[in-house]
Amino acid sequence: MPDTVQPAMGTPTRAGLRANGPAVLFVLLAILCLAISLGSPRFYAAENIAGILRQCALVLIIGSGMTFLLIAAEVDLSVGAALAFAGVVAMDVTNQTGSALLGALAGILFGGFVGLVNGIIVTRLKVKSLIATIATMMVLQGSVFLYSRQAIQNRDQLPAFSAISTGYLGPVPMPVLIAAVTFACAYVVLRHTLFGRYIYAVGANPRAARLSGLDPDRLKLFLFIITGLLTGLSGLVLASLMNAGQPTAGRGFELTVIAAVILGGTSLKGGRGTLLGTLLGVLILQVINNGIIILGWDQELQLVVPGFVIVLAAYLDIVRRRADVR
Amino acid sequence: MSAEFAQMASPAAGPALEMTGISKRFPGVTALEKVDLTLAPGKVHALMGENGAGKSTLIKILAGVYRKDAGSICIGDAEIDVRTPRDALRLGIKVVFQEIALISEFTVAENIFLESYPTNRLGSIDWHGIHRDAAALFARIGFDVDVAAKVGDLPLSQQQMVEIARALAHRAKIVVMDEPTSSLTPREVELLFKVIRRLTDLGIAVLYVTHKLEEVFEIADTVTVLRDGRRISTKPIGEHTEDSLIQDMIGRRIDTLFPRSRNKAESAPVLAVEGLSTARLRGISFEVRAGEILGFFGLMGAGRTELAKAIVGFDPIHAGRIVIDGKPLSPHDTRTGVGLGIGLLTEDRKADSLMLELSVSHNASLAALGEFTNAGFVNESRERGAVQGFVDRFRIKTPSLDQEVEYLSGGNQQKVLLARWLMRGLKVIVVDEPTRGIDVGAKSEIFAVLDRLAGDGLAVVMMTSEMPELLGLSDRIAVMAEGRITTIVNRSEATQEALLNAAIA
Amino acid sequence: MPQSPSLSAMAKALSRSNEAVLLLCLALVIAFFSLASSSFLTILNIANVFGQASLAVIAGVGVGIVVLAGEIDISIGSIVGAVGVPLVVIMNKGGSLELGIAAALALALMIGLVNGYLSAYLGINSLIVTLGSMFVVRGFLYLYTAQRVIPDEQGLESFYQIDNGRLWATVPYPALMAFALLISFMYVMRCRPFGRHIYAVGGNPDVARLAGFDVKAVKFVCFIISALLAGVAGILLSSRLGSAVHVAGLGFEFQVVAAVVLGGVSLAGGVGSLFGVALGVLILSFLSNGFGMLNLATEWQLVVTGIVIIATVALDEFKRRRS
Repeated sequence: MPDTVQPAMGTPTRAGLRANGPAVLFVLLAILCLAISLGSPRFYAAENIAGILRQCALVLIIGSGMTFLLIAAEVDLSVGAALAFAGVVAMDVTNQTGSALLGALAGILFGGFVGLVNGIIVTRLKVKSLIATIATMMVLQGSVFLYSRQAIQNRDQLPAFSAISTGYLGPVPMPVLIAAVTFACAYVVLRHTLFGRYIYAVGANPRAARLSGLDPDRLKLFLFIITGLLTGLSGLVLASLMNAGQPTAGRGFELTVIAAVILGGTSLKGGRGTLLGTLLGVLILQVINNGIIILGWDQELQLVVPGFVIVLAAYLDIVRRRADVR
Repeated sequence: MSAEFAQMASPAAGPALEMTGISKRFPGVTALEKVDLTLAPGKVHALMGENGAGKSTLIKILAGVYRKDAGSICIGDAEIDVRTPRDALRLGIKVVFQEIALISEFTVAENIFLESYPTNRLGSIDWHGIHRDAAALFARIGFDVDVAAKVGDLPLSQQQMVEIARALAHRAKIVVMDEPTSSLTPREVELLFKVIRRLTDLGIAVLYVTHKLEEVFEIADTVTVLRDGRRISTKPIGEHTEDSLIQDMIGRRIDTLFPRSRNKAESAPVLAVEGLSTARLRGISFEVRAGEILGFFGLMGAGRTELAKAIVGFDPIHAGRIVIDGKPLSPHDTRTGVGLGIGLLTEDRKADSLMLELSVSHNASLAALGEFTNAGFVNESRERGAVQGFVDRFRIKTPSLDQEVEYLSGGNQQKVLLARWLMRGLKVIVVDEPTRGIDVGAKSEIFAVLDRLAGDGLAVVMMTSEMPELLGLSDRIAVMAEGRITTIVNRSEATQEALLNAAIA
Repeated sequence: MPQSPSLSAMAKALSRSNEAVLLLCLALVIAFFSLASSSFLTILNIANVFGQASLAVIAGVGVGIVVLAGEIDISIGSIVGAVGVPLVVIMNKGGSLELGIAAALALALMIGLVNGYLSAYLGINSLIVTLGSMFVVRGFLYLYTAQRVIPDEQGLESFYQIDNGRLWATVPYPALMAFALLISFMYVMRCRPFGRHIYAVGGNPDVARLAGFDVKAVKFVCFIISALLAGVAGILLSSRLGSAVHVAGLGFEFQVVAAVVLGGVSLAGGVGSLFGVALGVLILSFLSNGFGMLNLATEWQLVVTGIVIIATVALDEFKRRRS
């Protein structure tokens, strides 16, 4: 049956409107910053900005990987549990070997290993990623306690280890630097490389990708491994921040990450999303949280506001999608 | 509940349904132009015509899926307005589409009473009654099925029976069947005909849409032929011969031949398929040379799409060899296939080929991206330059290269997909129903592109149901039926009648 | 004339039946632990397990219904925690258990209405909606309780009995409640048109729409049911803990979803049964109880649960692909 031609949108480049999704978020962020600073000038103090950026760092590191995964129409809910375990491993190895470097490597590689396992379960055993990563999350939550009941302290008080999170490069705190470098790499990969393009293709239509000669399963396996490595990195930074490997760390973290990525405009269905959006999503959520504290509001609103924000963002996305078709 | 089924429709006097002057337009194409159709109770009325003749539009209007632009539909003396599928059911019209509209997890019995479950005094579903009444219904149509079986487990032919039984449950006076036998075995077809005869015995008017000539002669009382949206003829089947039917369906002469210089100097075939077998295909063998278009003709269910997917490595095969430009397709996957230079333009663009959320540029460049990549980085300006080249060359209508492909018209989408393969540089391109869902204007553009491709030295394998396409473009024509190739002829030797006959074999 | 299914056909259907496999699993688990530990197969212990499992069974019925309708609800953990507040606060103020329960269920209903409206009528992805309400409800819970536990000050015997009472000194009341709710909803899903509508809407939404079902309304009601059942579970939990605990229910949603999937309910919708859900919950509960008996660290149960889920779903996928 001849399909009906969609009427021209009227807007000059409707695709341009979609690309402006991040622009809308940027405006929102600017408004938020303005509003909060009006309420309390402390907002613009250097330590406050630094604090916000530090808190963003952890979420953004994992968020980069999660963005890749969501664009490829997968998800990883085990990152919170993996984060904690990686931190514990990192601390433990540092203690055992006296080398922060080895500990760091161990933590990151452990994360990568978790990613590999997730990837195999999803691509080989064909278990849907939502339920698969819930299951691995449980396994990790259990095994971390079997590995170590207590938090593992920085036994020798190795300064190199704590420097990961407390150190500075010039005016920039280390965690922020790490996050920035990670983000920059991820951005370049997604936007400018063949690999990045393939991620979009596989998420938009895996069959079409396969017809064009791509291998969706192998690609997704990589993405899970990358997310795992980034989770390991983030776990390392967190452990350094707490100066201990904490088995209970990262509870609920996966949801924060996903909330930020979704807020940033990445769709759960795949094929759509930008890292810039994720960055703005992370910033907006953190700024909101910070604003709540600075303005003296109840701290618990830090859970409430992001909850509203994500749902609102998803709703606006639907409204925008429907308006486009009309 | 059973009492109601005791009194089924008794043959009424006068037509069961009268459609007068039905017209329907879609953007860019007139699907139906003042079509009249009258259905008599207790008779089978066949509706025939080629692809695009308007058959499915007409029955979708009856089913409440489309709204007519002009004309009237009357049952008895009353004009009816069918706005939704529920309306159609309520008015006694049941359309059985090829896509079975049943809940696959439910049993046969439950599916029949889906719209209104009989309940007992407490409001609980009367399962016993449902099973009993369902069994009675099937007895009525003379069909044996386990009413407690899950519909999803049943073969297609039995699912069709369940749909027919649903019609009875709704006291339908008119049952429309859309190409019901395309996936049935001959025995199942016989069973279907038996059931249809039972329906007519009960006074129900049956509208039977089909391609297949032999079936029409076996089951129909009257035949209406549509062509290009117009009603060409309505006659009792006795007044037709096979030739007269084909003549009515095809009518126009194929005079738009493409004057391409066919130079097939190459002796070695670019694509050689030997003994290919899958679940539905048996021993397919053929060759295609560079610069040649091999058209595959066949009725629905003949296996052409399966063949297309198998030869590019998308679907696995049980046996056979595929050799592309002297190299075997091994391992049998698309990565190897694309690497060797064979690509597929699928039948269902949206499901299999298009990445709707992505831009024209990204869709077009997907298969060829490697060539614009240096050390992993994509050179976007070169990529866009190449895409723009194809946009110009194919005259793809889009506001910009960044326009999301889902907003393009069907014809332009198809051009983007063609560009995808051409940018890759193929030796063999397989196209499956290349002009499906494309309006008339764009169709001829696609024809021209395919013709030029062959002229440039590509080997083209073209699956199509459209005669003009087939006869106008192909150098040679292979006809498939029931998973086999029945004949391969040169275009010069092919007549439409011969091809149709080979497709029915 | 349709034939009545022969014995061999029935046996074949049974072997393919998901529930039969689950029952077998459950039997194996019970057998294993009763051999491994002498105190496992006692009436008291079995009764205990049923009592422990009752929360997840009740919530599982709710989530199972939502998933059967083709959606998902991960806000139940927050609902379980949140309903404790109106319950305990009202009881403390006025000494009326009934009023407290009514208030608790009213809160659950409200949350269900919002979830349902946003998902079914506004069309927002239910994962996002219930993710959002999970955050919002938990946040308000923390806010109101100032992240402190609200203890029951009235010490009503009736309140205590809700979770800790036993029939004939063995069968815990929560187990009876879970059983009653399970049976009632199983009845609805199998024998009431509305239950069948849920299956249709989840399994083939287009066909359901054609058949005239109000897809949106059906889904809307499912969210309400899920929230209310989570509310019931929350009331039981409050009685168990003797207070409104702000961290109650954290992570509960994942356990329940896991049990639902284990029980054979497909996340795509339209496939599965509440009986399967109950079996899934029981398998996981007996596993955890058995580990306790063997003095294995409770963490083992998390690990094994995760592995069991992966194995079951993978096997199910494998079976599906082969057919």
